Amino acid sequence: MGAVLAAPAGLLAHLFDAPMRLWQRIAGRGGMIAFFLAPNMAIFGLFVIVPLGLNVAYALSGGTALFLPQRSYVGAANFERLLTCGDHMDPATCRDDLFWIAVWNTVRFVGLQVVVLVGVAMVTALILNGKIRARGFWRAVFFFPVLLSPVVVGLIWKWIFQRQGLLNWVMVELGMDPVNWLTDRTWAFLFSVGISVWAHAGFYALILLAGLQAIPRDIYEAAEMDRTSPGRAFRRITLPLLWPNLLVVIVLALIRAVQVFDEVYVLTGGGPGTSTMYLTQYIYETGFASSLRNPGVAAAASLLMGGVLVVLTIAQLGLTRWRDRQ
Amino acid sequence: MGHIRLEVVRKTYGPLEVLKGIDLSIEKGEFVVFVGPSGCGKSTLLRQISGLDRPSSGRIEIDGRDVTDVGAADRGLAMVFQSYALYPHMTVRDNLAFGLQNNRMPKAEIASRIAEAARMLEIGHLMTRRPGQLSGGQRQRVAIGRAVVRDPTAFLLDEPLSNLDAELRVSMRAELAALHARLKTTMIYVTHDQVEAMTLADRIVVLRDGAIEQVATPMELFNRPANRFVAGFIGAPRMNFLDVADAAALAPGQAMPGAAASVGVRPQNLRPGDGEAAMTVDLVEALGTETVLHGRLASGSRVIVAHAGQMAARRGDVLAVAAEAGKLHFFDAADRRVEA
Repeated sequence: MGAVLAAPAGLLAHLFDAPMRLWQRIAGRGGMIAFFLAPNMAIFGLFVIVPLGLNVAYALSGGTALFLPQRSYVGAANFERLLTCGDHMDPATCRDDLFWIAVWNTVRFVGLQVVVLVGVAMVTALILNGKIRARGFWRAVFFFPVLLSPVVVGLIWKWIFQRQGLLNWVMVELGMDPVNWLTDRTWAFLFSVGISVWAHAGFYALILLAGLQAIPRDIYEAAEMDRTSPGRAFRRITLPLLWPNLLVVIVLALIRAVQVFDEVYVLTGGGPGTSTMYLTQYIYETGFASSLRNPGVAAAASLLMGGVLVVLTIAQLGLTRWRDRQ
Repeated sequence: MGHIRLEVVRKTYGPLEVLKGIDLSIEKGEFVVFVGPSGCGKSTLLRQISGLDRPSSGRIEIDGRDVTDVGAADRGLAMVFQSYALYPHMTVRDNLAFGLQNNRMPKAEIASRIAEAARMLEIGHLMTRRPGQLSGGQRQRVAIGRAVVRDPTAFLLDEPLSNLDAELRVSMRAELAALHARLKTTMIYVTHDQVEAMTLADRIVVLRDGAIEQVATPMELFNRPANRFVAGFIGAPRMNFLDVADAAALAPGQAMPGAAASVGVRPQNLRPGDGEAAMTVDLVEALGTETVLHGRLASGSRVIVAHAGQMAARRGDVLAVAAEAGKLHFFDAADRRVEA
């Protein structure tokens, strides 16, 4: 059976053998490397490098025109507009108040979401690592939301939290008054954090679970023989041995939290008002959706956000390498 | 103190009975070795004693106290694991101190115990290193040190030398014997290596399929094995088992008990170049201090002869061979020992 399946591949390899050898003789070793890398580099260049270059060009140009040749060069004016503030803590004193509202919303979101997310992922991983019945089933349950599209996540929770949603129906059935969950600034913010945690915790729990399972069981047995209480075993053994995984989880969660957009956009649309408008939504609306479309400002804002992400990514790479060396 | 008593200790995993009612009494200060082939239940038995596992039924006493349902932390025992199980993120000093800190021992007392253990095990210069920076032998010393500083009622050692190379194993074996002589604390040692068992033990517990086959001193096990299994397991090369007719040919004039169904003779008790039985040599293992001959008797029965010293023999040679008088072991049809 294996031979039958391998036959076409063998024939193909045979057909290509002679021309490839000839090509290798002409192109040399370096040429062959370039030849095999070329398709990937072309795709990477077309969809990453070129857009990045265009983004820089847009960030340095002004006007509402969409096509670059019709736009005028304005230097750092877009960055100036974004960064000029009387007091950076007070968006009302900034030239582009919406940008700073989005920045501070994002900071608040990241601060709360990352803490809750890592906490939930940690507790989930500890539970899933324990001796529980149907462990495989529960692992699948906690990981399931990760497989959902963010738009689906947003829609599901919108149907639950909206004025005539599932939650209010249950509350009314229980004799309580319905609440406008998504038009209350605090609730809308907390729900945006909550569904984001729900959607992503399974992924991080899996990373932590892998770390927990890499800790040899006999270390805990040695600790038990050493009269170590469960709390102290967690603090003195589990946490230090899990720390490399935990660092990676924190940095990855930070990077993804800074980029939050789709599920929250579907759930709240950034509202009520601008209370759940985060940075990516600001960029999207400034660049494409607003009536006062301004691609230059949007491009400048995305470069600033990209800078933050680069710093976080370098930190994550550094931490991963540090972990591998441990 | 350190008297440990097991009464009908059973351990089952579902339908599988891993320990089949173990009765055993270990005296204070004794060095007892559990030995047996893989899967015989020796490590499982050690885990029941340690408290890391609970028996399905039966009773475990330490110094007269019933500890069957007492957790590992409260049994006052220390364990040395096969994998060492050192805390990889802690220095050697912290590894040694960790258990003592759990007991809220004063710092000065901790420091003094660590210093004493470090001196005894010669690990003083390793105190600031982590386990990853130590060799296998050094890790083993630290693991033993971690047990020693606790000043336990008894030491439990689960194949502690199996991850070391042969040379280091020999030296660590001698050190363990010296440590026991010095501390005089009860030690229970699990191994599948009969040389470790014979050299270290005051008494050896031979296990097979979750049951005790024999408990005896090393020499008693060697000289008076209770059954064919023990006779075959203890001693290297393995004891020869022959039928009565072959044994009679090897030891003419030797009286055979009527109940004897098979006869055992150790390779060291067969003398080549002597007697009337003939052996065709199939393989010669020249070890320098000993020559081991593998061959066949005229009846076709396989036999191993261990000759102390060197001898010129080659494959295909036919040698006379005889058993030393009084060195035969007799076993009945149920493989139990029969006295001559």
